[in-house]
Amino acid sequence: MRRPLIRIENLWRVYTNGAVEVPALRGVSIVIEQGEFVAVMGASGSGKSTFLNILGFLDRPTRGRYLFRGRDVTALSADERAEIRNREIGFVFQSFNLLPRATVVENVELPLFYGPLPYAEQRPRALAALAALGLSDRAFSYPNQLSGGQQQRVAIARALVTEPSLLLADEPTGNLDSVAGKELMELLVRLNVQQGLTVVLVTHEPDIAAYAQRVVHFRDGLIVSDQPRGVHP
Amino acid sequence: MKLFRMTLRAALVALRRNKLRSALTMLGIIIGVAAVVAMVSIGQGATAAVQAQIRSLGTNLLMVIPGATTAAGARSGWGGVSTLTVGDARAIERECSAVAAVTYLRRQVVQVVHADQNWSTVAQGTTSTFPVVREWNVARGRFFTAQEEEGAARVAVIGQTVVDQLFGVGQDPIGAIIRVRNVAFEVIGVLEAKGQTTWGQDQDDVLVLPFSTAEKRVFGTQLFNVVDMIFVSARSTADIPEAAKQIRALLRQRHRIPTGEDDDFTVRSLDDMARASETASRVMTNLLFAVASISLIVGGIGIMNIMLVSVTERTREIGLRMAVGAKPRHVLLQFLTEAVVLSAVGGGIGALVGIIGSLLIAHLGGWPTLLSPVAVAGALLFSAAVGIFFGYYPSWKASRLEPIAALRYE
Repeated sequence: MRRPLIRIENLWRVYTNGAVEVPALRGVSIVIEQGEFVAVMGASGSGKSTFLNILGFLDRPTRGRYLFRGRDVTALSADERAEIRNREIGFVFQSFNLLPRATVVENVELPLFYGPLPYAEQRPRALAALAALGLSDRAFSYPNQLSGGQQQRVAIARALVTEPSLLLADEPTGNLDSVAGKELMELLVRLNVQQGLTVVLVTHEPDIAAYAQRVVHFRDGLIVSDQPRGVHP
Repeated sequence: MKLFRMTLRAALVALRRNKLRSALTMLGIIIGVAAVVAMVSIGQGATAAVQAQIRSLGTNLLMVIPGATTAAGARSGWGGVSTLTVGDARAIERECSAVAAVTYLRRQVVQVVHADQNWSTVAQGTTSTFPVVREWNVARGRFFTAQEEEGAARVAVIGQTVVDQLFGVGQDPIGAIIRVRNVAFEVIGVLEAKGQTTWGQDQDDVLVLPFSTAEKRVFGTQLFNVVDMIFVSARSTADIPEAAKQIRALLRQRHRIPTGEDDDFTVRSLDDMARASETASRVMTNLLFAVASISLIVGGIGIMNIMLVSVTERTREIGLRMAVGAKPRHVLLQFLTEAVVLSAVGGGIGALVGIIGSLLIAHLGGWPTLLSPVAVAGALLFSAAVGIFFGYYPSWKASRLEPIAALRYE
C-alpha cells in the first residue's frame, strides 16, 4: 500500500497586484502518493505553475492546508522551506537554469553546498549522479558546450544529487526538440519505475503527459479532471 | 567553518568571473588605502623630522635672551639690548630649584687662521657646562674644563665645518694651533656634527672658546660680564614651566623691574616650540588622513554600486540557489563575502602600494617618511569595514528576494 506523500486541502493562492486580488488557485484539493508520476496540464494562467511552485515550497499558499509526509507544512519559515527544498525536492526547469560559468560537475554540486554532506564527499557524489545519467565524460565541460538534451540531463542530475523524494519538472521538454524530449521523458519514467521517485510534471503537450500514470487538468485555478492512465505507453 | 570556506570559494569564483570589473572596483579601495598609508607616513615623517631637529638643540632646554618681544610699542626684540650678565646666569643656577645646569655665551664673528688657511666663523665664549646643557658633546678630543675657563686658557673646541675649512684631509686638528685675531689657541676638541637647523643655519660653523678667554683676549669689549644668551636646562621636561617661572621672577627682581613694567629679557623653552610644531603637523596629518579617508569611502560606494549591479544581474542565479536549498542567510553571506573580499584584497594591495609609495617618496623625493604600522592596520581594518558597510545593503536585498520571483526574473 502506498503512503500519501502530499495531501493538499482547499488550497488558495491569491496574488495581490496593487488593490486588485488575482486568485491563481481557488480551492485545490489533491493527494499524491509516493512513487506516482503525475502530469499537470492546463492552459497558461490555469494555475498549474503556481500549484507546482507551492508543491515545491518556492511559494506559499494564501489559504488551505498542505501536508507533506503527513506533516503540516502550510506555514513554514523561509529557512525551513529552504531545508525541505534542499532535502526532499528536486527541480527541473524549462530553461535548465544552469550556472553558465560553472562546470557541469560544479552545477550538480550546488545543492550539496547547502546540505549536510561533508565537503570531501560532495565531488564524488556529484560525479556519481552524473555517471548515473551517462554524463561522466561531460563533468568538466561548461553548459554551453552541451546540447539541450544533455543540459536538461545535467539539471536532472542536479535535482537528484541530494536524493530527494519528489522531482518537480516545469515544462522540462519545452526547450528541447522532439527526439531529446522523448529521451528525457523515458529517463523520467525509468527513474520513476526503477527508483520509485515521485514525479510531478507540468506540461501543456498531451504527448508528454501521455508518459504519466495520472493526468490532472487545471482550469481557472481549479482541478477539472484527474484521470489515472494505468500503465506507461 | 565548512560554510565559511565554501562561501569564500564561491565568492572568489564569482569575482574571477568578472575579472576586469572586480579589478576596477578594487581600484577605488586600492587608491583609498594607498593614499591613507602614504599620506600618514609623509605627515608623520615630517613631524618626526621637525621634532628631531628641535630636540637636537637640547631637551629640557630654556633660553634667556636680552630684550623683550612685546608687541606693544617699540620694543627691542631678540638680543637687542645687552641686559643679561654673568651674574644673572650664576644667580639662576644658584637660586632656581627647577634648574639643573646653566651655561651662557657671548659671540662675535671672527677670522680664524690655521697655517695658510683662514675662515670666518662665529666665536662663542662659553662655560665648561656647555656640552651638558646643550647636549652637544665633542666627537674627538675633549671640552675645556672649569679651571681652564677660569684661568682664561688659550684652548678652543671647533665645529666640523671649521675643521673642514682649515684642515686638509688626514690632518689631525687636535693639538693644532690656530690664530684668532692674532691670539694663538690650541685645538683640544672637535664638536659632534649637528647639521643645519630648520631655518638653514649651519650649526657646525662654530668656534667655542672659554668665556673669560674670549672676553679678555678676543672680543676686545669694554663691557665685561655681559652675555648674549643664557641656556638653562630644567631638571626634567615637566619642570620646564616651573623653571621658566622661577627664572622670570628672579631676573625681574635682579633687574629691579617694577610690577606692571615689561620684562627686559625673554625666556623661551624649546619644548614650547616643539609642541607648537607638533600641533601644526598633527593638524596637517589629520587633514591628509581625512582627505585620504574620503577616497576610501568613495571606493566603498563603488563596491556598493557594483554589488547592486551584480545582485540584479544574478537574480536568476539567486533564485536557483534558493530553489536548491540556499537559505536567506546563505545568500546574504555569499554577497557580503564578495564585497568584503573585494575591499580586503583591495585594502591589502592598497597598503602595499602605499608602503612602496612612501618608500619611493622617501628615496626619490628625499622627504622624510615614517611608516606607521597603526595606519597600515587601521587602513586595512577600515577597508574591510567599508566592504561590510557598503556590501550589506545589496546582500540584504539579495537575501530578501522571493525564490519564485527571482527564478522568473528576466
